[in-house]
Amino acid sequence: MAASPHEHDHPHAKIGDADRPGYYDIMETAVRELLIEKKLIGADEIRRQIEVLDSRTPALGAKVVARAWVDPAFRARLLANGRRACEEEFGISFYDDTQLIVLENTDRVHNLIVCTLCSCYPRPVLGLPPDWYKARPYRARAVTEPRAVLAEFGTIIPDDVDVRVHDSTAMVRYLVLPRRPEATENFTEEELAALVTRDTMIGVVPVTVSKEAKK
Amino acid sequence: MRTEFREATGARYGVVYAANEQPVFRPGESVRVLTRIPLAHYRVPTYLRGKRGVVDRVIDPAAVDNEEEGFGRNVGNRLYYYRVAFPMREIWADYAGSQRDALYIEIYETWLERI
Amino acid sequence: MTGSEHLVTRLPNDIGGLSADRIEQIDHELAPWEKRCHALADVLDFHKIINTEEKRCGVEALGAEMVANLTYYERWIVAFSNILFRKRILTPTELAKKNG
Repeated sequence: MAASPHEHDHPHAKIGDADRPGYYDIMETAVRELLIEKKLIGADEIRRQIEVLDSRTPALGAKVVARAWVDPAFRARLLANGRRACEEEFGISFYDDTQLIVLENTDRVHNLIVCTLCSCYPRPVLGLPPDWYKARPYRARAVTEPRAVLAEFGTIIPDDVDVRVHDSTAMVRYLVLPRRPEATENFTEEELAALVTRDTMIGVVPVTVSKEAKK
Repeated sequence: MRTEFREATGARYGVVYAANEQPVFRPGESVRVLTRIPLAHYRVPTYLRGKRGVVDRVIDPAAVDNEEEGFGRNVGNRLYYYRVAFPMREIWADYAGSQRDALYIEIYETWLERI
Repeated sequence: MTGSEHLVTRLPNDIGGLSADRIEQIDHELAPWEKRCHALADVLDFHKIINTEEKRCGVEALGAEMVANLTYYERWIVAFSNILFRKRILTPTELAKKNG
């Protein structure tokens, strides 16, 4: 098979002098500076896009989820057209021109998102994906044995609940709308949002009422 | 759904649709992924080739083929992507989970046939 | 038949269904250059100098050995360089000189 058995998705580059830029760092700078010199892109565009990226975090997605939990009409709009609902309710722009399908977890269905071919992820509403989402084990196995993958995250789905895996390959991105945990009837919308972590919107764990917010 | 609305309305006024303007497959139809083996760039994973599923929805609007997009086509030749549901047991003969588990994925029109 | 067809017919990123280890829940904060690289990708796509699908295709074209041994953003910047050369936007000499 073309894929090497040992895919080294090292989180860090080679060991070296921390003050000197590495080989690829230098390459990025060179490419960027040449493109700017040739007036194909602007330095301000890169700076601005970094700010865009920094503004998109799981906290945004958590607000969307919490609103859907407390507002049934918004929930319906979100499930009908995820992108439009996020744009209109929260002003979340889809700068990468992707669509969004929001997947509702219920007592009958549990959803899980993956991109087997690369790393497609709902970046406009969740920010950048974690390394494990982009690495071989998750991408290779989420589509063959989703229940075993979920179990590795500590999530056991009973047999009478269907598991649906969504493999992104084109212009549609997915966001899991996790189930609202029990005993949260008196929580404010802000308190509800604080419960919703990134991994609950990927679908690998459920939302729980816990003192520590896990990432 | 927008495209169906256009059809029903258009028919009343004698509107004829351009070739490739309408989706070929509709929600609920049974389809099979072709077993084509392209070189250099594809977005239909090998694990789905030849598998049978049901169209869940048509992705609107029509869009560029991502296999062409990978080589620089940014506009033109737009066809539809379809969100297709595959039972896990259809994809993996030895699937160990529930028989009701499923996989959903977007597939371009050029990769599907009606069964 | 040389027995090498599988290297050609299956892209190095097409790994759904292949064997794999347990999931290590690793993550890291992006280095500044990695974030700049991601921003560069978005800006290149906006201008359609290199669209997102061209980027994916460029990463695939690195081949299995590079895909396995370069990190995520290292793959991107090398792919961008290759694509910019092919499109005659940059030349290898230009980039080599700028790299210093």
